Amino acid sequence: MEHPEIVFDSVSVDFGGRTALRDVSVSLDQRRIGVIGSNGSGKSTFARMLNGLVLPSSGAVRVHGLDPARQSKLLRRRVGFIFSNPDVQIVMPTVAEDVAFSLRGRGFTAAEAGARVSAVLDRFGLTTHSEAPAHSLSGGQKQLLALCSILVGEPGLLVADEPTALLDAVNSRRIADHLLDELPQQLVLVTHDLRMAARCDVVLRFDAGRLVESGAPGDVVGRYEREHA
Amino acid sequence: MIALYRPGASAIHRAPAGPKVLVFIAITLAITLSAHSAWMLPAAAVLVVAGYLIAGLGLGELAAQVVALRWLIVVMLVTQLVFLPALVALANTGRVVVVIALAALVTLTTRVPALLDATERTLAPLRRFGVNPAGVGLLLAMTITTIPVIAGLAGSIREAQRARGVPVRATTFVVPLLVLSLKHSDDLADALAARGVE
Repeated sequence: MEHPEIVFDSVSVDFGGRTALRDVSVSLDQRRIGVIGSNGSGKSTFARMLNGLVLPSSGAVRVHGLDPARQSKLLRRRVGFIFSNPDVQIVMPTVAEDVAFSLRGRGFTAAEAGARVSAVLDRFGLTTHSEAPAHSLSGGQKQLLALCSILVGEPGLLVADEPTALLDAVNSRRIADHLLDELPQQLVLVTHDLRMAARCDVVLRFDAGRLVESGAPGDVVGRYEREHA
Repeated sequence: MIALYRPGASAIHRAPAGPKVLVFIAITLAITLSAHSAWMLPAAAVLVVAGYLIAGLGLGELAAQVVALRWLIVVMLVTQLVFLPALVALANTGRVVVVIALAALVTLTTRVPALLDATERTLAPLRRFGVNPAGVGLLLAMTITTIPVIAGLAGSIREAQRARGVPVRATTFVVPLLVLSLKHSDDLADALAARGVE
């Protein structure tokens, strides 16, 4: 199924004299988009641009028809972002309160917000923890909580920047299965886990700020593995 | 010193957050403005004990809150004893302990979203003067939520220093804690922005 487009047109990003992204042009409408590359290659900068956390120094970005520079508020309601460290994503003391925080100011009644929170916690198996202090959860549960807090707002695009980097093998697989197999949303997945990247519909590979390759996961991941063997 | 909510069904738990905070402010003002009254501090102390009992938190929780203040109590007492008579120093320190214990009673019996809503509603008229009520409410919520995070960071630093055989001293502890706390605040700001908080 085709999704709304993500379009980068000759995009470059400079951070105080250092070029993080260099002349990136790409158009994406696949459901699962993998992003790979070594540390400092520009893949996280690319991901952060999708949510307007980083703006282009030159060139143009359109995400689902929105301009991150001028429509950041609207964009952030449509684009959810998962960071690698789930601890930094917790805003409220308890699990249910943290998920409900995402619905503040969106015009929901308390009953509507409560129903949405209950539904998403149930879906990810966190109902029994709803009144627990959010910081007392395990790493895997915290990342599931981060996922719940984003998905409760029903974004059209989910950006996950190394979401399994701090998790053990079991929790990594659990998060990967949720992201790659169970969500209907379009997904941009930045990862060092090449098995996760291989499960995407298309993979982009960054190197030294340049988009050096994009295409079928088997080809892109295979070549990357051979070069770094 | 700022405690996390403990679920309960007491009258204090059920009281709306706004009036609860207003009562706390009124009592704090009364304690502060009647510094020379001999009966105000004992009366406030009785009120605090009654509050913890009515809320079902018990005297153990009150004792835990006071124990958490032990270093503050020591510093306040010692510095005041240099300049003031012992009774005055004791009374001043007692007033601060009573106010903090009362503040903890409010946060122990009030959910953070309720405090957030009450803050936003109370400060709404100040919007015309440039005050951002949602921002102030969020600041309050974040202060309460971040306490266990900072405690966790402090624990990690202590463990790392012990693992390297370095004795834990204030000088080698404070700087890494500051650096990690600032890094955490940067990451948290990004996460808030990503969740649409302006």
